[in-house]
Amino acid sequence: MPMKGRFPVRRTLQYLSQGDVVFKSSVKVMTVNYNTAGELSEGARKFVFFNVPQIQYKNPWVQIMLFRNMTPSPFLRFYLDNGEQVLVDVEDKTNKEITEHVKKILGKSKEMLEREERERKKLSHPATFGPKKYHLRECICEIEGQVPCPAFVPLPKEMRGKYKPAVKNEA
Amino acid sequence: MSVPRGAVHAKWIVGKVIGTKMQKTAKVRVTRLVLDPYLLKFFNKRKTYFAHDPLQQCVVGDIVLLRALPERRSKHVKHELAEIVFKVGNVIDPITGKPCAGTRFLENLSDSENLTEADTTYLSEKLQELKVCSTDK
Repeated sequence: MPMKGRFPVRRTLQYLSQGDVVFKSSVKVMTVNYNTAGELSEGARKFVFFNVPQIQYKNPWVQIMLFRNMTPSPFLRFYLDNGEQVLVDVEDKTNKEITEHVKKILGKSKEMLEREERERKKLSHPATFGPKKYHLRECICEIEGQVPCPAFVPLPKEMRGKYKPAVKNEA
Repeated sequence: MSVPRGAVHAKWIVGKVIGTKMQKTAKVRVTRLVLDPYLLKFFNKRKTYFAHDPLQQCVVGDIVLLRALPERRSKHVKHELAEIVFKVGNVIDPITGKPCAGTRFLENLSDSENLTEADTTYLSEKLQELKVCSTDK
């Protein structure tokens, strides 16, 4: 049973997380002006169709607005935190070129992203166990080298609660 | 550093003016793309903000950029008008700087200069057909 829509792969989490444009924290608003007809806007249309969902998924706090058929020339406009505006002309560019350009001018570099990954990893200790939200393992029985879960492997008689008093009663 | 700006989370927003009936205040509708968790598709979610517009220069339909005020001006007004991005009916293409409407420029609108010979003959023929002749009866 195939998914509905023209390119339903755009609606998969794997595709969305493949987007590599992560904006710098100073970018607040992104505005895309494009036309629904015409060769010049072709790249912009593909950009909106394929890449904007990826960008919005990776930058949930950036406001993205799309304007259709307002001006003859397609362009992107970014509004930064210090009041600066960045205008990007996308006439006659393919959607790949547009994403590359945007990544170069306003995206976080790979080193920065890796550094942030490492910072996030430092906060959580992988050896601890607890709720799934904060740790990798939930119970001590999941850790290798510890006593396995009695739900799968019955405990030896000496470790069971009813063994010691039974021995005492016998003796 | 960022304490001076920000009684609000949204520091800069772009929206469309939907009402100007209040004095010196514009009602602005802001749309954000929100992911539907089941369909995994982005839909526009609207929210209205009130913005302080001291010169009352906004008309319904303008696209405006709002800046967050350092502290709330009144119960609902937490932003002010920073700039009118596109004025309704008077859109200026930022790349060329020329006024435009839809997908065409409004600069050279004088028809008579751009008409070719064929156009003028065709138009005059059509005008002839439209002429009401009293001798038809």
